[in-house]
Amino acid sequence: MKNAAASRQDALLDLSTRIAEAESESEVCHAVVDGLRGEALGYDFVAVLLVDQATGDRVLMASTGWKEAPAGLRIRPGQGLSERPLLDGRIHYTPRVTEETRYLPTRNEGSEVDVPLLANRALVGVLVVESNRPDAFDEADFKILTAAANQAGMAIGRARLLRAERARADEQEALRATMADLVGRRDLATVLQAVLERAMRLLAVSHGELAIYHAEADELEIVASHNMGRKDTTGTRMKLGEGAMGHAARTREPLLIPNYREWSGRSTQYATVEFTAVMVAPLLIGENLVGAMAFMDKNPARRFGDEDLRLLNLFAPQAAIAIENARLFTAAQHQRKYFQELVDNNPVAIVTLDEHHNVVSCNPAFEQLYGYSEADVRGKNLDDLITTDATRLEAVRYTEQALDERPVKVISQRRHRSGAMVDVEVLGVPVIVGGKRLGLMALYHDITPLLKARRAAEEASQAKSHFLASVSHELRTPLNAIIGYSELLKEEIEDLGVGQLGADLSRIEASGRLLLALINDILDLSKIEAGKMEIHCEDFALEPLLDQVRSTVGPLVERRANRLVLEGAPAAGSMHTDRTKVMQMLLNLLSNASKFTESGTITLSVRRYGDNGADTVQFQVRDTGIGMTPEQMGRLFQAFSQAEASTASRYGGTGLGLAITRHFSRLMGGDVQVESTPGAGSTFTLTLPAVVRVAATDPVGGH
Amino acid sequence: MPKILLVEDNEMNRDMLSRRLLRKGFQVEMAVDGRAGVEMGRSGKYDLILMDMSLPEVDGWEATRQLRAAPETATVPIIALTAHAMAGDRDKALAAGCNDYDTKPIELDRLLGKMAALLPTAPQ
Repeated sequence: MKNAAASRQDALLDLSTRIAEAESESEVCHAVVDGLRGEALGYDFVAVLLVDQATGDRVLMASTGWKEAPAGLRIRPGQGLSERPLLDGRIHYTPRVTEETRYLPTRNEGSEVDVPLLANRALVGVLVVESNRPDAFDEADFKILTAAANQAGMAIGRARLLRAERARADEQEALRATMADLVGRRDLATVLQAVLERAMRLLAVSHGELAIYHAEADELEIVASHNMGRKDTTGTRMKLGEGAMGHAARTREPLLIPNYREWSGRSTQYATVEFTAVMVAPLLIGENLVGAMAFMDKNPARRFGDEDLRLLNLFAPQAAIAIENARLFTAAQHQRKYFQELVDNNPVAIVTLDEHHNVVSCNPAFEQLYGYSEADVRGKNLDDLITTDATRLEAVRYTEQALDERPVKVISQRRHRSGAMVDVEVLGVPVIVGGKRLGLMALYHDITPLLKARRAAEEASQAKSHFLASVSHELRTPLNAIIGYSELLKEEIEDLGVGQLGADLSRIEASGRLLLALINDILDLSKIEAGKMEIHCEDFALEPLLDQVRSTVGPLVERRANRLVLEGAPAAGSMHTDRTKVMQMLLNLLSNASKFTESGTITLSVRRYGDNGADTVQFQVRDTGIGMTPEQMGRLFQAFSQAEASTASRYGGTGLGLAITRHFSRLMGGDVQVESTPGAGSTFTLTLPAVVRVAATDPVGGH
Repeated sequence: MPKILLVEDNEMNRDMLSRRLLRKGFQVEMAVDGRAGVEMGRSGKYDLILMDMSLPEVDGWEATRQLRAAPETATVPIIALTAHAMAGDRDKALAAGCNDYDTKPIELDRLLGKMAALLPTAPQ
């Protein structure tokens, strides 16, 4: 080891220069090793170990001459000769290493010098120089090595300051960029990727995962993943408490896992992993969970410590806000899109106006209905476009009414671009957002097909009514002659005393009358259906009316040996309603009762009652006839439905009387009901207001 | 003896109704269309006019209006007779100036009742 002083001096100078030029800790360490190993100085084995603050391990940064001593090799506290300078801050010389108890019998069996490295007055590592020979070092060596160690310590201190400076600058940049994401409305996927990448850069790690929390499923979903190696984990879902991120999300606390392979909570998905240490942190806004992040490094020596936690604690809340912001923005955009779709695909023409009646937007159905494109109408006054002189004033009034927050619903006509008129139902409502009136929305429903169908139906109905009226007229004229001549002949035959012929004429007359009754009933029903049945009100006393009913129906009642009993007539008072129809209804009910009763009693009773000013007259027709089953009663008041098909031929009648009675009673504000027991008779109850409540000559039923 | 003018275009109805009225003691004269009805009516010698509504030349409504417009027949009782039974016919007849209205086929008792109400003295 004895070399020329000059070359040693050169070598030392060279060493100093190398160390001075080194920027990072690693470069400093390599400069020391390379400089001391040089030919001029000629040390066989040189190594620099730095202390890992987190564990106290000495980590091999650079070495030469040692086989099987890779960078990153760790020596635990309490082991090896190189620990001694760290304990007392002094240089230690060991002439014969094999005699030392702390000696690790791995490398040489000669001598060793261990020199402490001081950076900013702290012991940060050890410079280790060894020789295969015992007693290989002397005072000159100690001087050189102490000088080298001092220079290296200072350089390391400087490099650490520099690194801290840079880290802080990076940190500032990462935080600033995250803040930018907060205000920038960027889509969620981009923000998530950016947040993960910034966090990884800030922490100087090679691997990272970001998951967001789905509250509805109480699950985390990995939405960004970086350099995870074998497979992309994006889309993976985890329950809270599952895996490292799930754990952090559940506890709402960051978690440092020194060795993931040994961690009891590890996920089966990562059964085989290259990395050792993992850091996870929840993403929280206040108490609300937004997601979680996990960080790992491909360098198995990377450990996570307080500094990493400090950085993460600065970064995570901002990341959480940035993510939530993007999430809300994306949701709002989705919502907006959803409503836009509703408008765009709506078959109803929709247009929105500002407060000056100018078009803000319209949908495709509007373009279709009026023949204008949205570009044609935007900014223009709507009422200028789709009205005519005849409808303009009305349209402007409706626009103002809707703006005045009174919704509009009308049927009207508007003008197509071609000039053709369109039948529309118009709905106008104000648009108020957050209490501020922005304008109005108008909807136009094209009712042309509906109107067409209605017109066709009305025409068909009128044609039917006209047809019935004509048929009725045509039938009545010959009937008039048949009945009239029969009656005339009967009178003349009576005068002549040819009684036998009278009976035959009576049959002709009776058939003619039945035919007439049928025609009248059919006509009544058609009038009711067409809404053209009129009510002609008059004041009349009930007792004379009932007497008239009794004398009219008398022959019919007696035909089957029935007895007619009249009850309550003297006390019944008077009514104001359609007298003819009251009579017709009573005759219908009585003729019905006498048809289905033989040798029995038919009772017509009248009762008047009133409560709450409602003055009601109730007529009841009771018979002791054949009665009806509930099924028969169900069909009773329908037209053309005598209880049984055979009934008509057996008992006669049109089968329309009860249907007409029900219609009439309802037109007059009352109703008719039936109760019956088969074999024991039926009771029909007709109730009518004593004073009819409908306008006297208004067509009832309307159009 | 009340004198009745029957304005009716249908021969059978005209014949039948006039004979029945004669049997009840009325004097009956007949017109076969609206124009003839107005001309005869204006002679002013009838106590009551029975006016069919569906008439040729001049219909019953128009004939009634014309009779009502002339001073000599402004107040003569006119009963409309119609085979039409749809809503509005009654009002239409009354609006034209008829005093009453009856539908065909004629119920003689009913018609006689209406006539009696409009004649100063009932026939024997």
